[in-house]
Amino acid sequence: MKKSLLLGMLMTSMLVGCSSTDMKESMGLNAPFPELTSQTAELSPAATDELASNPLLSERSVYFKFNSYDVESQYSDMLAAHAEFISKYNVAVAINGNADFRGSHEYNLSLGQKRSVAVSDSLSGLGIGSNNVETVSYGEENANQECTGSACDQDRRADIVYVGE
Amino acid sequence: MIFNMKIMLNYIHRFIFFVTLITLSLSSNSIEVIEILGGKASQIPIAITPFNEEIRTMGEVPDKKNAFREKMHEVIANDLERSGLFTSLDTSGISTIPDSDILINFSNWSALQAQFLVVGKIITIQNRLITRWSLIDIYKEKTVLSMEFSGSKKQYRGIAHKISDLIYKKLTGSPGVFHTRITFVKKKSQKNYSLYVADYDGFNQRAIVNSSQPILSARWSPDGKKIAYVSFEKKKPVIYVQDLTTGKRVLVANFKGNNSAPAWSPDSKKLAIVLTYSANSQIYIINSDGSGIKQLMRTRSINTEPAWSPDGKEIFFSSDRGGNPQIYKVNVDGVSDVNRVTFEGKSNLSPSLSPDGKLLLFLTQDNGKFRVAVQNLLSNQVLKLTKGPHDESPVFSPNGHMVLFTYKDYGKTTKIGTVSINGLKVTPLRVGSEAIQESSWGPITSN
Amino acid sequence: MKIILKLQDNYDLQANLFSFVIHFGLFIFMLASIQWQMKDVYYSEVELWDAMPMQVKAQPVANKKKSADIKKLTPKAIEKQKQLKINEDAEIKLKKKRKAEKKAKIKKIQKQALKQEKIEQLQKKLLEQEKIEQLQKKLLEQEKLEEIQKKLLEQEKIDKLKESILDQDVKKNARIAVEADQELFAGSNTGELNKFKAMIQQKIYQNVNKQLCGLDLVELEFEIQLMPTGELLGEPKLTQSSKIESCDQALERAILQSQPLPVPKDAKLFSKLKILTLKFSPNAYTE
Repeated sequence: MKKSLLLGMLMTSMLVGCSSTDMKESMGLNAPFPELTSQTAELSPAATDELASNPLLSERSVYFKFNSYDVESQYSDMLAAHAEFISKYNVAVAINGNADFRGSHEYNLSLGQKRSVAVSDSLSGLGIGSNNVETVSYGEENANQECTGSACDQDRRADIVYVGE
Repeated sequence: MIFNMKIMLNYIHRFIFFVTLITLSLSSNSIEVIEILGGKASQIPIAITPFNEEIRTMGEVPDKKNAFREKMHEVIANDLERSGLFTSLDTSGISTIPDSDILINFSNWSALQAQFLVVGKIITIQNRLITRWSLIDIYKEKTVLSMEFSGSKKQYRGIAHKISDLIYKKLTGSPGVFHTRITFVKKKSQKNYSLYVADYDGFNQRAIVNSSQPILSARWSPDGKKIAYVSFEKKKPVIYVQDLTTGKRVLVANFKGNNSAPAWSPDSKKLAIVLTYSANSQIYIINSDGSGIKQLMRTRSINTEPAWSPDGKEIFFSSDRGGNPQIYKVNVDGVSDVNRVTFEGKSNLSPSLSPDGKLLLFLTQDNGKFRVAVQNLLSNQVLKLTKGPHDESPVFSPNGHMVLFTYKDYGKTTKIGTVSINGLKVTPLRVGSEAIQESSWGPITSN
Repeated sequence: MKIILKLQDNYDLQANLFSFVIHFGLFIFMLASIQWQMKDVYYSEVELWDAMPMQVKAQPVANKKKSADIKKLTPKAIEKQKQLKINEDAEIKLKKKRKAEKKAKIKKIQKQALKQEKIEQLQKKLLEQEKIEQLQKKLLEQEKLEEIQKKLLEQEKIDKLKESILDQDVKKNARIAVEADQELFAGSNTGELNKFKAMIQQKIYQNVNKQLCGLDLVELEFEIQLMPTGELLGEPKLTQSSKIESCDQALERAILQSQPLPVPKDAKLFSKLKILTLKFSPNAYTE
């Protein structure tokens, strides 16, 4: 179903005009996370305030053990707080997965994605639907290219980023 | 009775042998045969002499540095050496350098162990260069090629590359790639990335994209007209296709999730891409303008880094369906089963195919080090071309004889270089001190 | 070479002929003696039947009866009796004669048998002698062969040492074909020939650039002519192409580069290497 929706969207965009950069700009397709922003609310000042004041909400990263894609229990409170925030303000959130620098850039994009999906599944378990969440990956692009051993641990993480902040 | 027979037989045997010996020695024209099995992976020794320069411009003072004289033959020597099939001999000790194929002292060159000789003359008039050059076979004592090119002074490297191509084609039978171009991404800082296009040897580089966000997976279309790449400027990976002539670009994939790993079909009409639309990375095929999406296959595991076979029928890719990532292949029509291709090594990533489809180029993890390797798809023999520890992004030259790749030592910045397909000749590219990531090799073009 | 053969053959011929004649003679003799023996056997069997003891015993009883009858007999009967007696005596005499003859004959046969035995013994002895001679010959040949094998082994060892010093690859590739029989009759010439062949092979191998021959197993053949200096006469002739031009050319260069090739100084040996066929398989034994 989602596929046909997507296809439909693409088709209409094609029909409306030729796939030139200008047309897409006016359609908003060039904006970040077009699918999310069409179904969610923007970050209001009140929401922004709450993000700043709530200590749990300022925690944005879930770290993963080597070769593991399980979200550990220590992050339960943090995720619960975010889930509450998202449903309260119906905002859009992107979960950025990350990987350490070892391996190819593209494959690390996929590994980061796995972490992102893990966190998204946790949020889903807390009642947050895919309308509000987009899972993306930065792969090794944010990683420390010179790390060795345990210094690379911090690159194995997923970050919660609110669209528009 | 038996006793008698033995003696008789013995006698008969000797008689027959005697007869054959006579007949053999009578036919004294029997030619001896010598079998020579195997051979060496050696280079052709070629002497490339500096081209003599003649200035015919009125009133022009000769450049003390003899600019073109030195550089032209250097470009040719570097080209041929980099390929791994030639050794260029040092000609600095020779007093009289010929500038044409007349009056060549063959025994002198033969004494130098040279099999071939390249001589030339450059005539500069105003802003133009006329280059007359010859390729000479020392053993056969004859001229193999003799030509004349003209161009602007600025084009002297291009002229030299063309000479290299012609020499290469003549002596190896394969087209030369010394006129081709490459792309690479320079990471100047965490917030400053540029996508460059340069000559295959790293010279004449120019940036075609500048961004504060990472750029990945730049891929040259086989027809040489466009470059597809991944950009994070929208806070997530999306795919652009940029026209090299006009500089204009089209956003071809911005689906929900990641859009990455664009791979051109051999006819430049389609792109295989990777989307995480359904959670994990999966491979799709779209038209090069972004229309007509079709899912290639779907599994619960990661499927990424698609690479087309040269006949356009198969797609190779990396997948973790078996635990650690390995390389698999599948028919483009998606009807056939998926077949595993790599079996050695803990992880195998980043597949690409040689132009003749016989070799698979990839990244292998060997004792914790990432190394560039090739696998013969018929015999399944694997040859590791580089040492690691962090080699990445291997791509074939368009004649399949060289590989472009990035490499990184512990604690150092990533650099870019080439390795010959037999693994014997590794040569860096001098493109600057910034970190290089992600390279791509453009096609052979006919000028 | 041919003269030696003839001489050897002559001796062999003589020996063969001599033993053949002896054997033939003995064989004839044996045949004859067997036949004679067989005749006598049948003859003596017939004799035995007639000389049965029973009839001898019967005779005295008949005489007693006859003597009883004589008082009553007429002169005719007496005459008849006398005549009978004479006849009987004659018969007995004959019988005795025959017995004696038979005995003599038996003795003769026995003698014959003895002779026969002696002959057979002689035959056996001769046989054994021949066997011994044969064995001796074999041993000699065996010794000769072993000597040759030793020489060859040593030669191979020396060659192998040379190769291992030069190059690991060359060890894999050198092939020396040796004919032991040729060695036996041709003296050490073939060994020398192969030595030069191996040297030529090694020198050319060092210059074979297989990088221009692709990845497949290709085969090439060239024919070359050599001068006593080791240089080529004319150009190498390509008789089988690899179908890859750069490969054909690279191997031609390898041949040209290998000049001067190591050739023997001995004119006779050089004449065998004047024209050579070179067979290449540059991608063989790829790792």
